[in-house]
This record gives sequence, C-alpha cells and structure tokens, in this order.
Amino acid sequence: MRGRPLLYTSYRADMALLNTPAKRVSLGLLVLLGLALPFLLQDSTLNLLAMGCVAAIGAIGLGLVTGYAGQVSLGHAFFFGIGAYTSALVSGETGVRTMGLGVPNLLVWLPAAGLVALLFGVLVAPLATRLRGLYLAIVTLGLVFIGQHVFGEWGSLTGGTGVGRAPARLELFGYDVAATDSMGTREQKSFWLMFSLLIVFALAARNLARSKVGRAFTAIRDRDIAAGVIGVNLSRYKTIAFAVSSFYAGCAGALLYPLVGFIEPGTFSLLLSVQYIAMVLIGGAGTISGAIAGAFFITLLPSLTRGLQPLVPFISTSPTELPNIFQVETILYGVLVIGFLIFEPRGLFGIWIRVRTYWKTWPFSY
Amino acid sequence: MRKLLVIALVAASLTACRGGETTTDAGGIKTDVGVTKEPCPQAIDQAKGCIYLGIISDLTEGPFKALAVPITEAQKAFWKRVNEAGGIGGYEIDVTKFVKDNKYNPQTHKEVWDQIKGQVLALAQTLGSPTTAAIMSDLKSGNVVAVPASWTSQWAFDDVIIESGANYCIESMNSLDYAVEKYKSKSVLAVHYAGDYGDDAAAGVKFAAEKLGLTFSHLKTDAGADKQAGAIAEIVGKKPDLVILTTGPTETATIVGQAAARGYTGRFIGTSPTWNPALLQSAAAPALLALYEQSAPWNSWTTNTPGHEALRKALTGVTALSEGYTAGWVWSYPLKAALQKATANKDLTRAGLLAAVKSLDSVDYEGMLPTGAGNFKAGATGQVKVTAIYKPDKAGVTGVSLVKDLFVGPTAQAYTLDSACFNKL
Amino acid sequence: MDELLESVVRGLGRGSVYALLALGFVIIFKATRVISFAQPAFMLAGAVMVTYLVGPLGFWGALAAATVLTGLLALGVERTAVRPMVGRPAFVVAIITLGVDIAVRVIVNAYIGNDVRQVGDPWGLSRVELAGLIIEKRDVARIVTAAVLVAALFAYFRFTRMGLAMRAASYDQEAAMAQGVSVGGVFAVSWAMAGGLAAVAGTFVAVGENVDGLMWTIALVALPVIILGGLDSPAGAVLGGVIVGVLQELVAGYQSHFPWLGGNISVITPYVVMLIVLLVKPYGLFGTREVERV
Repeated sequence: MRGRPLLYTSYRADMALLNTPAKRVSLGLLVLLGLALPFLLQDSTLNLLAMGCVAAIGAIGLGLVTGYAGQVSLGHAFFFGIGAYTSALVSGETGVRTMGLGVPNLLVWLPAAGLVALLFGVLVAPLATRLRGLYLAIVTLGLVFIGQHVFGEWGSLTGGTGVGRAPARLELFGYDVAATDSMGTREQKSFWLMFSLLIVFALAARNLARSKVGRAFTAIRDRDIAAGVIGVNLSRYKTIAFAVSSFYAGCAGALLYPLVGFIEPGTFSLLLSVQYIAMVLIGGAGTISGAIAGAFFITLLPSLTRGLQPLVPFISTSPTELPNIFQVETILYGVLVIGFLIFEPRGLFGIWIRVRTYWKTWPFSY
Repeated sequence: MRKLLVIALVAASLTACRGGETTTDAGGIKTDVGVTKEPCPQAIDQAKGCIYLGIISDLTEGPFKALAVPITEAQKAFWKRVNEAGGIGGYEIDVTKFVKDNKYNPQTHKEVWDQIKGQVLALAQTLGSPTTAAIMSDLKSGNVVAVPASWTSQWAFDDVIIESGANYCIESMNSLDYAVEKYKSKSVLAVHYAGDYGDDAAAGVKFAAEKLGLTFSHLKTDAGADKQAGAIAEIVGKKPDLVILTTGPTETATIVGQAAARGYTGRFIGTSPTWNPALLQSAAAPALLALYEQSAPWNSWTTNTPGHEALRKALTGVTALSEGYTAGWVWSYPLKAALQKATANKDLTRAGLLAAVKSLDSVDYEGMLPTGAGNFKAGATGQVKVTAIYKPDKAGVTGVSLVKDLFVGPTAQAYTLDSACFNKL
Repeated sequence: MDELLESVVRGLGRGSVYALLALGFVIIFKATRVISFAQPAFMLAGAVMVTYLVGPLGFWGALAAATVLTGLLALGVERTAVRPMVGRPAFVVAIITLGVDIAVRVIVNAYIGNDVRQVGDPWGLSRVELAGLIIEKRDVARIVTAAVLVAALFAYFRFTRMGLAMRAASYDQEAAMAQGVSVGGVFAVSWAMAGGLAAVAGTFVAVGENVDGLMWTIALVALPVIILGGLDSPAGAVLGGVIVGVLQELVAGYQSHFPWLGGNISVITPYVVMLIVLLVKPYGLFGTREVERV
C-alpha cells in the first residue's frame, strides 16, 4: 500500500488510534519537541507550559463530556477542586490547620484524586442525565457554588477561605520531582512529567473516543432522541461521560496546584469552569487535539497580553490613570476571546482544517 | 557535528536559564539579581546604577483593588523620594518597570512572579496572603525579601517577609482593651471574613475576651453588601455590647447602617480596611458617626510627623485620599533600611539583603511608628504592638479624626505571639 | 411573628431586584436562545452611571438616563459581538458574552475608582411603620418599582406590535420572518430591554447601600432564579426571583439555628432550591417542555 497512504484495506486500519501516517509522524515530532523543550526555554516559560499540559488534561476531560457527548458542564471547577483536595489530603502531612494522610507518592494520590472526582461525577449524573442544554449548564454551575461553600467551610481539609493549604507533592517512590538536582531543574523535570502524563491521558481519551463508547457519545450529541431510538442507553452513556470527564478533571486538579504552589478554596469558581469551557470552544469542540490547543492558548494568553506592554508605549503604566496597561491587558483577554470565536467559530482546529485543505489541494486551492 | 551542536545548545540554554552571576561593582558592593550598572529607566542621576524591585498587586478587578492602587502609588512616590535624596549606595531604585497585576489569584501571582523573578532584587509589594503563599517557597529558597500588603500575624514567622505595624490579632486585642475601658463592654461579637484577615482578628478578640472576662462569639461573613443579612440578624438578635468588624468598606456600611436601623445601639470597632472616607456620603453615615470607630496600626494621613509630612509632600495633588497611601508609604521603610544596611555591608546580593534584614534591630520610620519598631532581628517577639483609635469625622481629610493616639493595651502587652493567630480560632 | 413578617418584606424587596435581573436574562433567552453573561456588567454599569448622573439630574432623572444609556450599550454589544454569531451554537455566544462582561467590568471598575460610590436615592435607610411592622422604605420602593416595570413589560408583550413580534420570534424565528417580523429588530430590542432592566436592578440593589466593584456578583443569583422559574418564562422569572429573595432573607434570619451548615448559608440557598426543584420538574416551575421530533 506504499504511496497510497489514505487507502484503508480494513476497518481496523481505518479506526486505528493514529490512522494516517501524517498523524503518526506529527505525534512523533511533537514528542521529540516536548522532550527537547526544557533545554531550549527559560524555566519560567517551562512552568507555564507545564501548567498548559495540565490544563490540557482538564480540557480533554471537559471535551469528552461537552465536545463529544454534547453535555455542557459548567461544573468542571468543582471536580477540579475535589481532585486538588483529595491529592493534597493523601499526600500532605497533618499540620496545625489541615489534615493529611502522608502518602506523597504520585502514583497513589493521582489515581485517588481522579477516582474520588469520578465518584462525585457518578453521584451527580442522575440529575444531569435528566437535563439538557442550558438547564444542565446552570445546574452544574450550582455545583460550583455549593462546592465553594463546602470548600470554604471545611477548614480541616482545605485550610478555609483566604488561608488555603499546601498542594500535593510531586514525588515518585521517594524521588522528589519538584527539586532541582543533577537530572535537571525543578521546572524541567515537572515539565517532562506533565508532558508525559498529557500524552498518556490524550491517547487514552482518543482511544475512548474511537471506541463504542465514543460513538455512543457522538450519537447522543448529534441527536439524543435518535440515539435512544437506535438503542444507545442514554442515561448509561451520559453517566459514563460525566464519570470520565470528572476523572480527568480530578487528575488535572491534582496536578495543577503543585505547579502553582498553593490551593485556595476561592480558586474553584465559576471563572475556572468558564476558562475550561473557553479552552474547549476555542480549541474546537469534539476533538482531542483541539482541546489541547485551546488549553495552551488560554493558559498562555495572559502572559501574551502582559508581554504586549512594551508594544503600546502610549498607555500609562500607572494604575491610577485611565486607561492603564493593566486594564488594557484584562480587556484584551476578553476581546481576544470574543474576536477569536467570531472569526473562527470552529476554533483552532478549524484553522488547522483550513490550512490542511489549502495545502492538500495546492496548487488548485481557492 | 550535530551532536556537538545539540550539546552546545543545551549548555548555552542551561546557562541562559540560570543567570544571576555574582559580580562586584566599582564601589566594592557584591551584587547578583536585579541590580544593574546601567541607570534606571527614569533615572535622576544617570551615573548611578539601578536596583529593580517588583510590585505584584491587585490592580484591576480583584477585591482589594481600591486599596491596592493607592498602596502602589504611594510606594512609587516613596522610592522616588529616596532617589531624589541620592539613592542608596550609589544606586537608584526602580519600582515602575516590574509592576504586575495578580487579580488576587494565586495562579496569576505565581505566573507573574515567574516572569519577573530573574530581574528583580526584591519585592516592594506582594499583595494578599494566599497569593503570597503561592510564591513563598520560591522566595525562601531564593532568599528574596518581600514587603507584604496586609497585617496578618503569619508574617512574623516568615523571615523573608518584612512587615510593619501591629497585626490584626494584636490590633483587636488593643481594640478590646480600649472598649472595655471606655464603654465597659461585657460581651463581644466578632464579624469577620474568612481567612487570615478576618480569622486573625477574631482570634485576637477571642483571646482578649477570655483574658478580660467578656462573653465572646464570632460569625463568618462573605464579601458583598447583599450577603450581610445573616450578620445583621445575628447582631440584632444577640445584642452584644461590642462588635469587632473585619470586612470591607461596603460591608461595614451595610452592617452598621442596618443594624442601627433595626435598633442596635452597641458599639462597632473595625480594623483599618473596613473604612473608606466615601462612606460618609452613604445612607449609613449617621449610624457610622454614632456607633463606629476604627482601629489603625499607625496614625492617619494628617498626622504631624516627618514621615507623614514627606508623604503629603510626595503625593500633593492626589484627590480621593485614602489611608491606602499611608499604608503603602509606611510599609516601604523596612526595605529601605535593609537596602541601606546591605550596601553598608557591601553585599547587595539577595542573600546579602536577607542577612541585612535579619540583622535589623530597628527601622527609622521617621516618626510614623514609635522608635524600636521594625525589630526583625528578634523575629516574632520583636513585633510592634501599637494601635490608634479613630472615629468618623466629616471634617477629617480622610474622613476620620483621632480618638486615642498610638497605645499598647495590657492584653496585647502580655501576649506572646508564638504562632499565627488565625490557627487558634 | 413580626420578625418573620419583616424578614418576608425584606425578602420581597430583595426578590424584586432578582426578578428584574432575571427578566433581563429571560428576554434575551427568548429572543436569541442564549444566556447572556454580560448582564452582571450591564447591571454594574447602570448603577455606576447613576452615581455620576445623580448630581445634575436627580435620582429619577439619573435612573432614566442610565437605563437608556445602558440599553444603548447593550444594543451596541449586540450589534458588534452577538449579531455576527446568529446561528452559532449557544455556548459559543455565551462565552462571547462572558468576554464582553470582563471587558465592560474592567472599564466600569476604573470609573468606580478607589472609593465606594452612592446612587443618591431619596430613601436611604429610613423606615415606616405599616400594620404594626417596621419596614424599610427602600424595600417598598423596590417592590413598587419592580411591580410597575413588570406590569408595563407584560402589557408591552401583550398589546403592542413589537411585543407581538417578540413573542412570535421566540416561538419560531423562520415563521416569524416569513410573516414579515424583523427578527434582527427583535434581537436589538431584547438586548436593549435587558440592558435597561439590568441598570434599574443595579440601581435598586445599591439603594441605601454603596456601589463597589464586587456588586456584580449579585447578578449571578439571577441564574438559579431563571432555572427555577423556567428559562423561557417571564412569569417564572418574576416568581422565581421573589421565592429566592424571601428564602434567602429567611435563611439569613434563622441561620443561627443551623450552625452546622456553616456561615452565610443563605448565599448558596438559591442553588440548593434550584437543584431540589429540578429533581421534580426538569424544566423549572413554568418552563416549556421541549417537544422534539426525531
């Protein structure tokens, strides 16, 4: 079949995880790039990219429930918080204000965080499967508010509002990833760790999406009644979608805060949920690579707008004057999100499709 | 060949990452990060080098924006004055190039800190406790000295944080001493935000109430004028003699105004962040004038000390005065003292600056705080414990007038700070 | 008993404001099938405009001017940011409105400055005695204003040409268009109306209180309110607002009896009530059940 890369001779080949040579090559290149980046970039940028990797894991999870199964959830921040606190609880020591179980191994607290979040996802699912569209969105938003109240009040777990607690420790069988040593600096090693985890989570999600479950998801998204009629068990698959998505959110929550350095209960707010929805929509709903691209876009956008400071010299840097650079920075964030969605509603993935089509048909493109 | 290139690249980037080599300048002062031979961007004397200090504050949409902006402006004015007076050890100080907005979000705080940490010697302001906690391990491992913008008792236990003024915990003890002496209060209710601001004050109230034999209760409330119904019901229902408030200005107006309207006649004392001069125009003004007093860790804008005079001179033309300006100004003195000490020690590296902080046994606040304040050498036991009491006054420039000048109450005097108060609530 | 009834009156005052806010959301939803997250920003903008205009125009003049100006602002946002998105998924538009919210709020925050501001209302915290109950005048003002506005709006939908067009368009946009209804016009009027309602609501939130940058969070309470009442039901929005307002005041008044629930439980009451109602009625109290063909 050499030379005819898009000819599939079996269903199996068509549905393969990486079904085109281009995908295989680009994945390989990406992995190489990811491994090499820590040598090429500043530590601060690396930390940001590591956060991007973690955000991507969260966005993939939301992408599964929102992009694939079509159930818009604004409750991601709640599951995020559950993951963050479970991991901190498992990994931390009991201190003056907060309790901990003292098991710092990442291979223990990461699955624990994911599973507890998954459990909550399953608990919420019976309510969620009854609702659709905006009703579902706002009900899941209710979870976020109730969650914030509980997180704020439960001082022995979270440290309480405004105080917070230390996050989980990035430790593998006694080896501290978050410490600079001969292997590399803290940022280099945490980037490698997060990058490899992202690859694992992304491949797992893509594998799920191409399976029977994934097809059921898309059927529900495209027309849930039709899906029900042809034999897709709606409540079962919606529950699975919520469970998997919560698992991803829990893991992302557990991984993000070791990079941030601190967990404050106020963090798990509507704003966080919205950021993740924005990641999925900007990346392109219903694709794994889109969710990843969107996650990096939203994570890097604030530092990008901050970086514009020297380019607009006529705007004041004094916070008392109007307009000042800090306002412009924040507004720009809003405006970029708006502009992006207006001009490319299919998101980053849509841009990629356009570029690809252009070159595929070159020189006969129009 | 390719291998060589890769190795060269790796080596180059590794050194590029680290930066901050220790050098020694013409005056024999050792420097590393954030100090340059080149003059500051807005240098007064082009011959001097530049010390860069970072500011991370809540500048656009966070909950403390109304205080953070004046604090930041006052700090800029403070360091400008230092530069005009000849700078420190042949250097001028820049606090304008690395000003960042944290939106009161720990993650953003960490991100902007990562962005500037290779370029600043110290932080002239790091606003917020959860936000500062996010970079605390970095500050400690990098020996970076930072000026906080809050009065929590936690700061007494962090070497790298150079705080000024009595913390909320001590301040509420003083308030209680004052109220017992003046109003013979028998019961007290602490209405407070969650976290190290409100909990800290409430813990101080609790301790003092036990000492002085008052009945104590406390109630957590949230930010937002619409969320105070519970607090008001509690005050009106329990009728304590005294209510200690640790909230924000709008919440204070709502609580005091409505509690008074519903027949409460006891006293309110609020910590300094509960006050804003514009409250005197609000519907709650009569109630505030009648029932409310404010405790403060230092004297207000109009006081006559050399420091206050310099502050007023440096900020002439500022309309909409607030005590945020005073706070930003006072907070800057310890860092100035530390920089002076470090240059005198010929060691202006980060480690050198931290060593200078640890050896400071007093800071010259130009009269804004009593002599002996700023004893960082003594750690937690060196904490300054003075509080002043103000009352709302339409004639006052910042809407307040002095009731009781800086004092240390017997309860606070006897109290030994052995860990952060808010953990004991 | 008096205490209880007084709490109820306060709750009605609070609920009236929620009702106005929720109506704005519902009007936009009925026209465009989108939840506009820009409403909080419009609410804040309206209240801040009043604080500036109250000097020259007096309270009622300032209120009218701010209502019109905020309506125009909302109209502008609709034309530039929302109209190009007609036919796109509702959530993409919702995220766009969130972007608008951030941008508008930052600008408004700058105008609030470092001080708190007042809307300069005539009532302040003064009270009247009514049938043995001591009631705050501003609560009466809130209830009366909301009642008048709600009645006017319902009459508008019922009796005017544009009102009919709006109802038709919310039923079936294409059919309405075929009958000569300007659906674009309906969108514009809906957004402007919602903006104006948000401005009135914001001003009446701030009556007797102060305006600061955090005031926008009140508008979020309208979200559980509209779900409770049913997303596409104006009557549901009004009733839901009143229910939530009264419940919040009652919970706040009696929360000391339930200390194990944590402080300030009234803040999450709306969401809890919403969840409970939805368990029984998935489309809220008055929402239209979706009927779909495969």
